[in-house]
Amino acid sequence: MATATVNEAKNLFSEIPMRTWRWLGVNELPMPEQVTGELQQTALQVAAGKEDEVVYVNRAGGAQNLTIDIAAGAKLHLVNVQLAPTDAAYTSRIHVHVAADATFSYTVVEAGARHTASELTVELAGDASRADVWGLYFGDGQQKIDLNYIIRQQGRHTDANMQVRGALRGQSEKTFRGTLDFLEGTKGSVGRENEEVTLLSDGVRNRSVPIMLSHEDDVDGHHAVSIGKMDEAKLFYLMSRGLDLAEAQRLVVEASFNPVLDRIADTELRAEIDAYLQGRLGK
Amino acid sequence: MAEKQKTYVADIERTLYDIRNEDHSVYKSESGLTEDIIRDISARKHDPKWMLDFRLKSLEIYNSLALPTWGPDLSELNMNDIVTYVQPDAKMTGNWAEVPTDIKDTFDRLGIPDAEQKSLAGVGAQYDSEVVYHSLQQNMADQGVIYTDMETAIREHEDIVKEYFMTLVPPKDHKFAALHGAVWSGGSFVYVPAGVHVDIPLQSYFRLNAAGAGQFEHTLIIVEPGASLHFIEGCSAPKYNVTNLHAGCVELFVKEGARLRYSTIENWSRNMMNLNTKRALVAKDGIMEWVSGSFGSHVSCLYPCTVLHGENARCEFTGVTFAAKGQDLDTGASVIHAAPHTSANINTRTISKDGGKATYRSAVKVTKNAPFAKCSVNCESLMLDNKSRSDTLPTMDVEGDEADIGHEAKIGRISDEAIFYLTSRGIEEKEARAMIVRGFVEPIAKELPLEYAVEMNNLVNIELEGTMG
Amino acid sequence: MSEQLLAIHDLHAGVEGKEILKGLNLNIGKGEVHVILGPNGSGKSTLMNVIMGHPKYEVTGGSLTFEGEDLTQLPTYERARRGLFLSFQTPEEIPGITLGTMIRTSMQAVTGKKVKLLPFRKELKERLEELKMKPEYAERYLNVGFSGGEKKRAEILQLLMLNPKLALLDETDSGLDVDAVQIVSEGVAKFHNENNSCIIITHNTRILEKLKVDRVHVLMQGRIVEEGGPELVEQINAHGFTHIAADAAEK
Repeated sequence: MATATVNEAKNLFSEIPMRTWRWLGVNELPMPEQVTGELQQTALQVAAGKEDEVVYVNRAGGAQNLTIDIAAGAKLHLVNVQLAPTDAAYTSRIHVHVAADATFSYTVVEAGARHTASELTVELAGDASRADVWGLYFGDGQQKIDLNYIIRQQGRHTDANMQVRGALRGQSEKTFRGTLDFLEGTKGSVGRENEEVTLLSDGVRNRSVPIMLSHEDDVDGHHAVSIGKMDEAKLFYLMSRGLDLAEAQRLVVEASFNPVLDRIADTELRAEIDAYLQGRLGK
Repeated sequence: MAEKQKTYVADIERTLYDIRNEDHSVYKSESGLTEDIIRDISARKHDPKWMLDFRLKSLEIYNSLALPTWGPDLSELNMNDIVTYVQPDAKMTGNWAEVPTDIKDTFDRLGIPDAEQKSLAGVGAQYDSEVVYHSLQQNMADQGVIYTDMETAIREHEDIVKEYFMTLVPPKDHKFAALHGAVWSGGSFVYVPAGVHVDIPLQSYFRLNAAGAGQFEHTLIIVEPGASLHFIEGCSAPKYNVTNLHAGCVELFVKEGARLRYSTIENWSRNMMNLNTKRALVAKDGIMEWVSGSFGSHVSCLYPCTVLHGENARCEFTGVTFAAKGQDLDTGASVIHAAPHTSANINTRTISKDGGKATYRSAVKVTKNAPFAKCSVNCESLMLDNKSRSDTLPTMDVEGDEADIGHEAKIGRISDEAIFYLTSRGIEEKEARAMIVRGFVEPIAKELPLEYAVEMNNLVNIELEGTMG
Repeated sequence: MSEQLLAIHDLHAGVEGKEILKGLNLNIGKGEVHVILGPNGSGKSTLMNVIMGHPKYEVTGGSLTFEGEDLTQLPTYERARRGLFLSFQTPEEIPGITLGTMIRTSMQAVTGKKVKLLPFRKELKERLEELKMKPEYAERYLNVGFSGGEKKRAEILQLLMLNPKLALLDETDSGLDVDAVQIVSEGVAKFHNENNSCIIITHNTRILEKLKVDRVHVLMQGRIVEEGGPELVEQINAHGFTHIAADAAEK
């Protein structure tokens, strides 16, 4: 029932597939103000049966627009790392089409920028297509992070996995919307979605919207969210080994990020991200 | 003892709800919604001036608000076709013998007078727009408990009503709250004085008989400090070809250290738009428990909201929704943590079949004033075929870092392995399926008063028989 | 040989078009205890599921009869009513149905008679005690939150309460600690008498200590490749399956 005019007036960047109460403010992602720099518009194709890895690193902000087509039996691992300065704005829009027996593997780090708006849409169109999405976000200061990830499952026996880890500090605000959409006919498909958020200061605001839509009974869908402080027992253990609170916290946050970061094979890039996060966390 | 109580609903069938009475109403407002209609209803109800003003203000708000931009399609609801006030040919009484025969028969079939004898401390029965029967056990009345219809409450306890009425659900909340403020009629008023424990439940039953009508009952419950109450709400209507509307409003005030359990089995007919608003305000150490079963109606929007306003306030929400053919049931809950150390548990099950659409929608909000808030949400959805839809749309909004919030949801169908396990123990497949579905809703059923648990199981059986051939 | 209970002749069966059992022969007489050994993936669990009639598995050839009656056309619940019982390798968790309700419903289904509540409760309580399970377990949802050992004990509890003619025990002792194996094997020993039979799939000899084993079969690649007395168990424990495979190949 949403009208286009309302959305345009708000300068909408993205919205969730199914609306909910307006007072929650999660239906739409507004366009960040002052996104500067060139729009990077890229189309990627992975030919049938091929395997590819593509790495993007953004250190300046701006807008990214990617369309990806993964042909039958092909595999793509996309690494998308955003370490923009905290006064820049950043948008990312990625649309992925996955054919039969093909795999889209995605590792994303959203750590920089004053305001991040990111949309990911994966169409698991072919039978036995797979999406394996691992995301990490970190916010501190006045950072605003707006994420909208959607996996649509259409083929038979598709497999979707969405794992997101995040930590928030300072006055940062984050909204993560993650949708698993089982379309009619996606028989035998499975979908998993999990978000774990660690809250590090009392000025943060975290919004989580895990959506699961199903038009097919022969599916197995599961989503879970956990939002909370750092595990006291873990902190105590580390402090009993001589670490101070800040060090212990940093270690625990890094440990929660590692399943995402471990997927990045490029050791130089990995070192750069580690240094970037440590620099921010050490502050 | 427990075994005996279940008799009055044991043989229930859906057709029972569908027995219509002839329309013997003494007065019906014109259909639609105008200032004249509101003034007319108000005059007939002998409202005090402040209530008339309240109604007119609500109408103004109603006209200024748009329909919600989310949720089920409400386009088939045309307020110009809805008769908002239907006065039955009966005066409110405390004696079933004085209730007109056709109306009494209806409540007999629904088992109300029987249950009153066996397991309830008080009963209210509303027929169309007015309450026709109300009773309360003498020993409860002696302890200062008030249980009556809202009209009597306004006459006899005007100060209390004025202090609370539509303060928790203000008319400007949403379009149907405004509608309710303008045309409300009937409903129950319960007041439990400090420290009084109403050990046996009170039950109000709402029956809408007239075609094309709306029911807008208002339930206002105040449980004073340290007191406790279990309130049961039942509702049903016969099926018509025209749209009926239910836009009731429930406001619950749970004071310091008080405890309120509010149980509902909603079984409206499949031509009903059920746009009900329920909200509870819970003070320090108070406990609010919701048990909610949604089976009927064509379209439902129902998300009981709990505001945990005092330290250590608690909420337990248990709900089951069963959407069958032609139904779009959008249900869930919301919890607002507004004080330290508040906690909530939301536990729901939804089933969809035969093209039915079930949506779980929820909101958990932790404000800055609520450090150490704890909330855990668990919702499971079962789909019985691929014509149906099942959607889960929760939102969590947390400010501050001292919160512990967990959410888990599952969607799927009955597992073939579970059926094999049961059939390998000698149970036929059809019965195995029914057992699994009953097991699926069991955590909810066990929270219902026994009679309703039996009714729910029967409804599940009746609904399931439709799916399997 | 004693009276024939289960007879399997040249059985071929598989799942989703893939053949797993490739001409299997097995005869079980009344009062006998048979052990089936075999490496992982040899078809042991498939055999159990096929005997019990799991709808996923398709019988493509051969015969499978119980007391002379063709089983292959019978739905699973009818097989249970004829007196077959499968103790699952991984018992299903079914929320909302208590273990007690499950067993009573099942007893009524199998016997076709109403099971009176009070005597049932009494018997259940005694059996729970024998298996060193707390009485509360009867009121808990079927296998939900049970440990591995508790699930297996709940299977043996059902075995004792339902008292079938033929018990199929699919790795009932796997993943259990020493004490739990002891309890489970005592339960099986208690069940067994001259009027009923057992087929036991195991990797362990401890469960067999309390039972007199009549016959041991080695299942490899969908066929019985070796048969013998109880001594075969020791032999395989000492030397593994490889040399049997080699022997079988020579034959």
